[in-house]
Order: sequence, then C-alpha cells, then structure tokens
Amino acid sequence: MLSMNNISRIYQSDTIKTHALRDFSLDVKQGEFVAVTGPSGSGKSTFLNIAGLLDPFDQGEYQLDGVNIQGLNDNQLSRLRNEKIGFIFQSYNLIPDYTIFDNVDMPLRYRGFSSKERKYRIEQALEKVGLAARANYLPSQLSGGQQQRVAIARALAGEPKILLADEPTGNLDSLMARQVMEILHQLNQEGATIIMVTHDPDQARAVNRNIQIIDGEISDFGVYAPQQNIATAASVEVDNATV
Amino acid sequence: MLRYNFRLAFENFRRTPQLYALVAFTLALGIGLLSANLALVHTMTSDPIPHKSDKLFHVSMNTWPNEDPHEQPFYILSYRDADHILNADMVKNTAVIYASGGYIRDLQSTEASRINVQIRAASDGFFNLTDAPFAYGQAYQGNSGYEVVIGDSANKRVFGGGNSVGKTLELNGANYTVVGVLKPWYLRPLFYHATEQAAFNNTDDLFVPLETAIDENLPIYARSSSTDSWQQISDTRTKNVYYLQAWVEVENQQQKKEFQNYLDAYSQNLKDNGEHPNKIINQLDDVNAWLAHLNIVDSKVYAFALVSFLFLTVCVFNASSLLLSRQHSALFEHGLRRAIGASRMHLLQQGLVESCVLGVISAIMGLLLAWCFLQLSVTFLPQLQNLAVLDYEILILSFILAIVVTNLSCLYSLIRTNKQSISAELK
Repeated sequence: MLSMNNISRIYQSDTIKTHALRDFSLDVKQGEFVAVTGPSGSGKSTFLNIAGLLDPFDQGEYQLDGVNIQGLNDNQLSRLRNEKIGFIFQSYNLIPDYTIFDNVDMPLRYRGFSSKERKYRIEQALEKVGLAARANYLPSQLSGGQQQRVAIARALAGEPKILLADEPTGNLDSLMARQVMEILHQLNQEGATIIMVTHDPDQARAVNRNIQIIDGEISDFGVYAPQQNIATAASVEVDNATV
Repeated sequence: MLRYNFRLAFENFRRTPQLYALVAFTLALGIGLLSANLALVHTMTSDPIPHKSDKLFHVSMNTWPNEDPHEQPFYILSYRDADHILNADMVKNTAVIYASGGYIRDLQSTEASRINVQIRAASDGFFNLTDAPFAYGQAYQGNSGYEVVIGDSANKRVFGGGNSVGKTLELNGANYTVVGVLKPWYLRPLFYHATEQAAFNNTDDLFVPLETAIDENLPIYARSSSTDSWQQISDTRTKNVYYLQAWVEVENQQQKKEFQNYLDAYSQNLKDNGEHPNKIINQLDDVNAWLAHLNIVDSKVYAFALVSFLFLTVCVFNASSLLLSRQHSALFEHGLRRAIGASRMHLLQQGLVESCVLGVISAIMGLLLAWCFLQLSVTFLPQLQNLAVLDYEILILSFILAIVVTNLSCLYSLIRTNKQSISAELK
C-alpha cells in the first residue's frame, strides 16, 4: 500500500542543515493499523506530510498504492491526495462557517461527483461516525469528539486507500479520545489502512504495529509492544515489517 | 465546479464583508474617476456622424479682398462665395449656415412672455446633410419663406411638445409656420459649428431659412469679419462680410475632386477680376479632419485622464494589499483544500471567480461613482453639460476595465498564496 525507500528530507537555513528524515524506509500493507511515535521534533510530522503528499522529499523513492510519486506534477499529486488519502488532523481542521454536511462535502467537490453521489457518500460517512442527524449543524455546535468524528467522516467520504491521522485524539479528553479510537479500530477491522501519529503509549500498544522515529530515523528502542499481536521491538524491521 | 466557486466567493464576501466592501470601494473610486474622464475624452474625440463623416466636407476659401487676410484659407465665407457654392448644384447636399439667436413665442398663446432660443440660419440642404432626425413634418423647401423647423427642447418650451406642425410662432415681430419638429438631437461634437469654442454646444432650437434670416436681419452669433462697413445683415449680400460657414456632402472622391476644381476655378476667376489678390487655396476638410484641425479637445482633459489612470494604479495597489491580508488570514483554508485534493489550478480558478464577482461589484459601484463625478463636474463647470455623458461604449469599457483591474489586484495575492507549501499553510 505504502512503500518508502531511503527517503531523506533536509531543511536548510543559511547556516543550519537539519535532517528531518534520514534514509527512511517503511512498508505498510493493506489493512494495517500503524502507530508512529517519537519525541517532538523527531520527524513524525515530516514523515506524515511526505506520506500524505503534502511535502516533497529530497531523496529516495515513494510508492503509494503502486504509484511512484516521483516526478508527478501538482495536478497529479492533488488527484492522488484526493482519491487515495484521507487526512485526520489533531485540531480537526473543519471550516467553522460550513455545516457538517458542507465540511464533509469538501473533498468530494474536487472529485467531480454528481450532487446525488456526493449526498449519498456524505450521508454514509456521517452514518458511520454516528453523526447523520447532525448534518446541518455547525462545528461550533458539536463537542470536540464529535468534531473529530466529522473530520473522520470527511476523510472517509472519498473512500481513500489509506487514512493518515496526526494525533487524532491530542485535543480530546479521555472519554472522547476512546470514542474516536473505537471508530478508527472499527474502520481498521473493516479493512482500512491507517497510519496514526500519537504520543499516547496505550494507543500505540492498541494497534497491530507501531514504529518509533528518533532523529529522522526509525528506531527500535522503546517501541511499544502491541497488546494483542505481540511483537518485540527488535522484530519491527523497517523494510520487512512483521505484525 | 463553477457554481461551487461562485458559492465560495459569496461565502467569503459574507465572512468578511467590511474588507471586501473596502476593496470594492477602493477599486470603484479609481474606476469611477477614470471612467468619468474617459467619458469626457470619448465625447470630445468621438465621430459625431460616423456613417458619413468621410463624405461631409467643410469649405474654407482664400478670397479675402486684400493682402492682409486673417487666415489662409478662411473658414468663414462671404455671402457671394457661399451663394456660389449653394448654386453649384454638383454635390449631393449643401449647407450654408450661420448662428443666431432671438426670442420666440407661440402666436396663439395669451402669454406675452418669450423664450430665448439658439437659432441656426440654414439653407434647406442642411437637414439632409446632417441627417437631422424629424419627429413630425419635414424640412422647409427653399431658402426663403416664413417656415421653420423647431428643435425638441424649444418645441416643449413653446408649444408644450407634441406635433406642432402647422402652428405659428413669432420671432422678432415676424410670424413663422412650423413645418418640422425634430426629435431630441445630440451631436457631440457639434461638427457643423465646431468653431468659436461651440463644439460642445447643444444642437440649435430653431432653424430658419437662410435668405429669410438675412432679410429679417437675424443677428450673427458667431465670428464675422469684413473689410466694408455695414449696418444690417441684409447688407452683407453685396459687401465683403465673412460670416457664413459652408458644408458639402459628396457621393464619392470623384465628386469631391470636381467640386475642388470648381472652387479653384471660381477663386481664380475672382482673382483674375481683381476681387482678391491671394493664393488660390480652397480647402475641403472632412468632419474628423476638420475637428482635428480645430483641436477641440482641451489638452487638460488628457492630463486629467492620465492622472486618473495613475490614481487607479494606486487604488489597485491598495486593493491588492488588502486582498493580500485577506489571503493571509485564509491560508489555513487554502492549505486544507490543497490537502484534501484541490490542485493549485482549482484554487486559482476559485480565486479568479471571486475576483470576477468582485470586479462586477466594483464595476457597478465605479459606474455609479463615475456618474456622480460627472454630475459634480457639471455643477461646478456648467460648460461640461453636453460632454458629461456615459454612453454605452464607456459603460462597456469601464466594465471590462473593472474586471481586469480587480483580477490584477487579486493576482499577486493568489500567486503568492499558491507558492506556499501545504504543510506550512496548515500549521
């Protein structure tokens, strides 16, 4: 599903060269739920941005669902983002003036669906996160957990190949966080591939695979062992991940 | 997608109405001022009779009776020369005219009050030559007789409007029968009398047969010049008094050439007979050449137009700066849209649709302001009354201008926003 080989990303200022990612390699298979952990500034966000085609990389090779993204132009990248990736952000990133319906509608607008098809997909996505009855609400009329569920619905509506979640429960209390995680696990059980950046060890343990990034590289030190599918830290190989 | 882009544009206006109102007003101010000035320039430089301006020729002759002529050739003619032109019978239409004025009243009216009118003493060919638009009746036949054609404004003031053919009016003690009533008639510039700074006057109120006007001693309200002393207008028939202007309408270049030869032969004959000692210079200028020769456009108007253009440029920069701040505050949404699948082209199209809608709003506001500026100009400078016109050509031009400058204002902020990386916008 997702295959990165020796990806490097360097941020360069006048005097400082920072390796945000260094020879980073990772394979994620269809249906995996991968948790990415690591300290602040370790390169988690850079990884997620590159994985989500939001940022370019300097070296290496990246294939998403069999498509080599090297050399693709802006239109092609946008189309890939739209069709294959669903984003779930820490701060939900909903447009406050739009209704829940319109927020979920946003990615579908760039897909060229008919209004009937869009309506069906929006209703299905909202149904899946339990918010079908709130379609005409504004985000400000919902709780944080509900807003994040709207963001999940927005990510799901386009039926993407992979969901990228950047600390999806970072702004939520524990109860709401549990509800959101339940939805993500449910989606994964239904076959969704999910990569989730998190700081929460419990959440990392709860998924079937987790990796830790330190200084732009995958580290096998301190990786949280999955609760159900036991794997040692040493077994989390970069190129040949086993779950 | 286009409908969605329109919807997003109106959503954006609704979100920050004050900012967009300020942008629209800033641009409208510049567009309004430039449009008002362009309206003046356009009126001054337009062709007043485009379908035949290349067939109408003003006649200037060089028959001043001594060696000290005012101008060579002279644009006003003596009765003798004008009469010769009238009798030439070799062109399609001929108009010999002079400007006059007087007070008229409806003969049937019980009121003794008279109204002041601008009179044109004109030979009968004048109406066909100028394509004067008749609402009722027709032109008078011949150059004598007590029949007149009345203009729309004077008809309303004297007779209360309507079909006044057959009614009688009194002018300087003589009675005239109305044989024709004109529709509202706008000639900008007033090509048939563009001299003596009258190029932007209204068309005349009353048209009197040339010979009758001379017989009735209707005064000359234009330049006249003479080498002989004279008491009454009727004296001018036999004296060297220059005050008549002549226009001819030819059907083709050949006819013009023949007429030119006719004038030259006539002048030469006069010279041979000792009537004048000057070079044979008879000039035929078509309408646009004649107006250009008279230099009727005040150079100050061009200067104002240039200043207005510079002002509009400043407005564009200001609007651009306002829109940049708006785009800056919308970076998050821009980034979000990019993240979920909008391409740069999608967002550029969205921005251009928004700027086109803004352009239409600015255009409407700008044209309203232009109209206000013109009204204000007329209040302070009444001589602009006949020039301050927003015709359809200026309306279309201003509209296009508004769309273009609004897009220009938006373009910088759109390009700049589109250059940001998506992750930076989402932070």
